[in-house]
Amino acid sequence: MGLDPTNQTGRDPASGSPRERLAALRAHLAGPGGPAAPRPVLPLGLAGIDAHLPGGGLALGPPHEIAPMEPADAVAALGFVLALCAGRLARTRGAALIAAAPSQPLPHGHGLAGLGLDPARLLLLEGGSDAEVFRALEAALHARALPVLVGLLADGLPLKPGRRLQLAAEGGADGTAPPLLLILRPAEAGLPNGAATRWRIASAPAGRDRFGTLDNPRWRARLERCRNGRGGDWLLEWDHAAHRLRLPEPLACDAAAAGRSRA
Amino acid sequence: MTRLRRAGLAPDRGPLAVAAEGPGGLRLLALDPEARALGLRPGEPLGRVRARIGVPLQVHPADPESDRAALLRLCRWAEGYAPGVAPFGPAEAADGFYIDVAGASHLRGGEGPLVDDLAGRLARSKIPARIALADTPGGAFALAGYGTSDRVIVPPGGAAEPLRALPVEALRLDPGTVSGLRRLGLRRVGEVDALARGPLARRFGEALLLRLDQAMGRRPEPLAPLTEEAAYRAARGFLDPIGRQSDIVVTARLLMAEIAPRLEREGLGACALRLVLHRVDGVMRVLDLGLSRPERCPERVAALVSLRLDRLGAGLDAGFGFETVALTVTVTGALSARQTELGAAPQGDGIDALADALAQRLGRPLLRLGARASHIPERADHTLPWTLQCSDSASRKSRRAPSPVRERVGVRDQGSPERSHPSPGSLREQISPARERGPEPQPDSCESHSPLTRAPTSWPDHLPPRPLVLFPRGEAALDVLSTVPEGPPRRFRWRARIHAIVHAEGPERIAAEWWHAPGAARDYYRVECAAGRRLWLYRDGPHAPGRPAAWFVHGVFA
Repeated sequence: MGLDPTNQTGRDPASGSPRERLAALRAHLAGPGGPAAPRPVLPLGLAGIDAHLPGGGLALGPPHEIAPMEPADAVAALGFVLALCAGRLARTRGAALIAAAPSQPLPHGHGLAGLGLDPARLLLLEGGSDAEVFRALEAALHARALPVLVGLLADGLPLKPGRRLQLAAEGGADGTAPPLLLILRPAEAGLPNGAATRWRIASAPAGRDRFGTLDNPRWRARLERCRNGRGGDWLLEWDHAAHRLRLPEPLACDAAAAGRSRA
Repeated sequence: MTRLRRAGLAPDRGPLAVAAEGPGGLRLLALDPEARALGLRPGEPLGRVRARIGVPLQVHPADPESDRAALLRLCRWAEGYAPGVAPFGPAEAADGFYIDVAGASHLRGGEGPLVDDLAGRLARSKIPARIALADTPGGAFALAGYGTSDRVIVPPGGAAEPLRALPVEALRLDPGTVSGLRRLGLRRVGEVDALARGPLARRFGEALLLRLDQAMGRRPEPLAPLTEEAAYRAARGFLDPIGRQSDIVVTARLLMAEIAPRLEREGLGACALRLVLHRVDGVMRVLDLGLSRPERCPERVAALVSLRLDRLGAGLDAGFGFETVALTVTVTGALSARQTELGAAPQGDGIDALADALAQRLGRPLLRLGARASHIPERADHTLPWTLQCSDSASRKSRRAPSPVRERVGVRDQGSPERSHPSPGSLREQISPARERGPEPQPDSCESHSPLTRAPTSWPDHLPPRPLVLFPRGEAALDVLSTVPEGPPRRFRWRARIHAIVHAEGPERIAAEWWHAPGAARDYYRVECAAGRRLWLYRDGPHAPGRPAAWFVHGVFA
C-alpha cells in the first residue's frame, strides 16, 4: 500500500511530534473508514496491566493466546482463561462456549463456583480435532450469539486458522460487540500466528488470608507478546469473594508477592 | 400367524395355533394348514384340543394390536399399486385389504398382470394370500374369501354369476343372520337373491339387503382409504437430474417454502426434517435434520441442508444425479406467532441457531454441565445436551441479577407448552408429545427431558472448594512420605515428578454411596506444593495402623 501523494500528512516532516505523525499515519493506513470507533475491549480492572494493552484491555474479536509456562501449569492456565471468561460474563448477558479438542481437560462443574462462573452459562463442545474446534469457533464468531468463546487446543494455533478466526471476528459488524476469543494451547506448541496477545501462565503459591486457606489462587502471568502494546510480567491473585483479579499487596510476611511483581 | 412366522417368533414347521380368551376359557382363533390337517377348527376350546390330538401344538396368544399394525404396514406397501388402499374392518375379520385399482391397472399392463405381480410378490414374502378382482368391494371380498381359486378376475359386469354360487357367509353378515338363513335352507347367495326383498328385510333387517346389494353392485360402497401419514411433505422431480450442492440446497428451500404455509396454518413448526434424494440408479440418500426449536423458515432450513452437505462432502456421491428430491416434516412442534419487543434481544439469543449449525456442520451437539445429587465428586456432575430451556432460564437470571457472584440454578418454572422444544438428541423419543405431558414423568424419559418435566438437581450452595479439573478417577500418588501417620503426606511422586507439600488443608471425609457400590470413605486434603500447584488428594479408607495408606490425586485447583 503506497502513500497517497495528495495527502500532506505523510509528506510533511515538520508537522508535530513523531507520536502525532505516527498516529496520523496509522489513521491514514486504516483506510477511509478510519479508526472511527475505538475497538471494544475487556479491561482487566488492573491499571498496571491495562496500561500495557492497546485500548486499555483485551481487544474483543481477535484471538488471545494463552499457554502454560510448562505442561504441569495447564490447569493454572485454564483457571486464568476462566477467570477472564467470568470477567466478561459479569459485564454482559449470554453464555460462554468452550470448544475442546479431545483429551483436553474440561472444567469440573462444582469447581467453577470458586471462579464465579455459573455452570448454566457455560456451553461445551467436544470437537474431534483442532480443526473441528476452529470450525466451531468460526461458526460461533459468525453467529455473534455468545460473548465469550474459548478454544482448548491440542496442537496450538497455526497462522492460517488464526487469520481465519480474526477475519470471522471482524466480519458482520452490525453494531454488536465481537466476542472475547481465548485460545488455550499446550505449553510446547508455540507456532507463529496472528494472536493479539500471548500470555504465559504459571501457578504460584496461593495468597493466604488469616485462616491460611488456599482460596485465593495466584498466577504468574507473563505477557509475552502484545500487538501495539508492551509486554510485562505480573503476579496476579484471584479474589474468590469479589470474583475479580487483583495485584496482591506486598505484605511484610508474604515473600511470594514481594519483589516479584514488576511492571 | 404369518406375522408370527415372519417375525421369527414361531417355528417354520409344526402345527401352530393362535388362541384368545373366549367363552369357557381359551379358544382357538386361527390355525395354520398343518393344524387344520389335524382336524382342528377355529373356536374349539384349547383344553379339549390338547387332550384330543397327540402331537405338540404351538399356541400363541392373540395380539390384535400387532395384527392391526402388521396389516397397516402391508397396506402401506400395497399403496405402490394404487393410491386407494383400505384395510378390512371388523365386519371383514380384519385380515386383508382392498385396493381400488380403477384407473391404475394399466400402469402394470392390465388387470391380469397386476394380480399376478401382487400374488408373486406376496408369495415371495411368504404371505399366503387369496386375491380377487371384481367390480365391487363386496364382490371381490366374497370371491377372495369363498371363491374356488386363489386368483379370481371377474370381467366388468360379470360379478353376479359367480357370486350366486357362493355361500351366504361371503356376504359379510353377522353370525346370527347366517345361521337364520341356513335354518331356512338358504345356503347360497343366489338363493337369497332370488327371494322377494320385502319379507327378507322384515325377517333379517336392512343389513342383509345392504350387503347383498353392495356385493351385486346395486348400491355403492365407498371405501375408506388410509390417510396420508406425513401431511407435510413436498417433492420435486427433475427431467434433468441435479447433482450440484447448490441445486439441492435451492430445491430444499423451495420445498420448505411449499410446506411452510401449511405449517403456518396449523400453528406448527418443523422439529425434525427428512430430505430424501432419489438417485437416477435407484439409490436413496436420506438426510435427517434435527432442529433445536420448531422452525418453518425456508432460508434456515436451506442453510442447515447446506451445512449438512458440507459435512458429507464427497460422501453424498451424487453419481449421475438425483431425479427426485423430497422433503418431509417428520416431527412437528407448536410454533405460534410471537410478538417481538422493540429493542429487546430475540429469545434464545441465537444460540439455538448456532447449536443447529454446529450439529449439522460438525455433527456434534452442544453440551452443558449438569449437577447430580451425589457426594462422590466424580459422580456429582455430568454433561447434558443443551436445550433452549437452559438458555432461557440463564438469560432470565442474568437479567435479574447481573452480578456473577455464586449464581445458582434455582427451580425452573415448568415450561409452558410452546416452550417445550425437544433437543436434537432426543427427538426420537419425543414423537408422541402426549406422553411427556402425562400426569407423571416417565422414568425412561426423565434423563433427556429433565428440564421440561421437573426441576433439575441444582448446584449445591455450601460445598467446600472443589478443584477446577477433576480426573475421572484418582491417580495413584507413589512414594508417599508422611510425618504423621494419619495426616497428609509431606512428599509424594505423581506424574513422574516429586511434589513437596508446603501447605495442607483437610480432611474432608466423603463416605462411599453404599447403594451404588461398596467402598471405603475417602479423606480429601487440599495441598499446595512448593512450586505453587494446588492438588486435591485423598486417602482411600481411614487410617488404620496395620494397613499402608493408599493416596490418590483426584483433581487440580486453578
